[in-house]
Amino acid sequence: MSELVRLEHVHKVYPMGRSSVHALNDVSFVIERGEYVAIMGSSGSGKSTLLNLLGCLDRPTDGRYLLGGQDVSQMTDAELSEVRGRRIGFVFQSFNLIGQLTVQANIEVPLFYQGVPRARRHPVARDLAVLVGLGDRLGHRPTELSGGQQQRVAIARSLANDPLLLLADEPTGNLDTHTSEEILALLDEAAGRGRTIIMVTHERHVADRAGRIIHLTDGRIDSDRRRPAAETAP
Amino acid sequence: MKAVFKVTDIVVLGLVSLSVHKFRSFLTALGILFGVWSVIAMLAINEGASYESQEALRRMGTDNLLIESVKPPEEESAAARERGALHYGLTEEDVKILTSNLPKVVEWVTAHRTMKSAVRGTRLISVQVLGTTPGYLELARLRLRQGRFISATDQLRGRNVAVLTYSLSRRLFGFEDPLGQAIRLGGLSYVVIGLVEQPGRAMAAIPAEMVSNLVFVPARAGRMRFGRYTIVRTGMSRYGERVEVSQLIIQMADETSVIEGARVARSLLRRRHDAADYRITVPLELIEQRRQQRRLWNIMFFMIASVSLLVGGIGIVNIMLASVNERTREIGIRRALGAKRRDIITQFLVEAVALTAVGGLMGIVVGMLVPVLVERVLDLTTILSATTILIPFFMAVVVGLISGLYPAFRAARLDPIHALRHE
Repeated sequence: MSELVRLEHVHKVYPMGRSSVHALNDVSFVIERGEYVAIMGSSGSGKSTLLNLLGCLDRPTDGRYLLGGQDVSQMTDAELSEVRGRRIGFVFQSFNLIGQLTVQANIEVPLFYQGVPRARRHPVARDLAVLVGLGDRLGHRPTELSGGQQQRVAIARSLANDPLLLLADEPTGNLDTHTSEEILALLDEAAGRGRTIIMVTHERHVADRAGRIIHLTDGRIDSDRRRPAAETAP
Repeated sequence: MKAVFKVTDIVVLGLVSLSVHKFRSFLTALGILFGVWSVIAMLAINEGASYESQEALRRMGTDNLLIESVKPPEEESAAARERGALHYGLTEEDVKILTSNLPKVVEWVTAHRTMKSAVRGTRLISVQVLGTTPGYLELARLRLRQGRFISATDQLRGRNVAVLTYSLSRRLFGFEDPLGQAIRLGGLSYVVIGLVEQPGRAMAAIPAEMVSNLVFVPARAGRMRFGRYTIVRTGMSRYGERVEVSQLIIQMADETSVIEGARVARSLLRRRHDAADYRITVPLELIEQRRQQRRLWNIMFFMIASVSLLVGGIGIVNIMLASVNERTREIGIRRALGAKRRDIITQFLVEAVALTAVGGLMGIVVGMLVPVLVERVLDLTTILSATTILIPFFMAVVVGLISGLYPAFRAARLDPIHALRHE
């Protein structure tokens, strides 16, 4: 396995008036290609901050972040946008689909910003919609879909750019148990095909789907454990 | 190549976003519509009016100088009237001096005007009789409608022939063919030999109703029969007026010599006349004046346009800011999925420009209809040119671009993390 994510002594400090909040405090870890990692922690533990950094939505105050061997900690805003568009797929807790676009157009958004022509975007979106079981809903708007269906569209969208890294932020947080199970199954499937996934969750049973659980408390890693390979094998 | 796909996609995206709020977009575009159509209509009407007056002047001939005798102001003529006769205006001597001293004179012609009554059968109409020579037809830019104008032979023999304006002949003859028929002028019989179109209003510096009642007779015949005196009755008294030459038209070689000629003529006549009993009309100068007037008006219309477009532009800024606020989350999503700041800027600029372009296009349609209506209803000439249509349109588009800048940059500066959390 090769190394995909490397964090070296990463700090994130938010100024808050006169004082400041140390959201991440000396965080270091390495994630290999194909790993399925869950990040856990109570609210305020820094897991969202960590996910934002991993997703190149933000830069560390200090330390280095290498994604696929590339140092992204000092990149400009435009370069980070490029990295997000090409290498990262996002799944959010609140789905975050664009209301005025159809399912098809929503799935195409990441490709859109990379300048992939319409004719090449369409088949990709169709295939992914079929993959998540929504091949017959391409023309629908998000409001016409259930929560579970919307999250499937979001997963399809996160895979559109064939990302190195799939980031999921509480992907089942807004869903009932049954639909949660479906969404997690889709993520398992992606992991099974060798996709690297990092998922933030505060639910134990969700985290247990991952092969590795990193636990954060007050901006520090307080445990990082891998489950035996046999257990994670599908 | 990729960039091209992306830009066209973003343009489509901007248009789709506008169609989501159709009514709101329409109202915003209305602001621009009013600015654009009003300017197009104003410009078209102004261009038309200016064209008409210039055309009237051009019909007088841009190479021509027109010098006319006019009655001097009351105080000055009062003394003369006491003596029983008023002598004013251009003299034969003036004509000789002017035509030999002005540079580059090509041709010239004079006319002598007397007021008479034209009688045919029971119809009696007061007319102006212009005693003139064959050259008048061309120099005064008269258009022959029927028959012929005064010839050299008519002139030489002092024949009693007359050329009438068409409208006068209609009044005297109705629908009969007037050619070869006789009318009486001051008790003498004249044979009608031709009809001319009524000269342009600007040509004869006399009231419009007089322009239509013109009779042209050979100068010699006129002079022999009517003399140089006109008897004017005012209330109780009657007195004679004597004018040697009523009108002198000089054709110059070209437009430059017209300006120079006018200068020389002015200084010559100022030296020779004490009273202001003449008037020099230079169509070319007047055309230039009208042109400047038109320019002035156009500038004013553009200022009005700028104000209304400014108001429209503020409307656009307003609506775009609301739109950015409403779509903060969408912006966050797009940024997370790889949109660069400039992609966001492009998207919102496209929306702003599309709003104004749509408003501008509607403005063009209305702006083109209004002049047509004005022509129909008010009987005014209007001129629509590509410039009068396109300039207000492009002004509107530029307004859209400028109005879109601030909201677009605001959208682009949003922090994706905060934008994603925005409710």
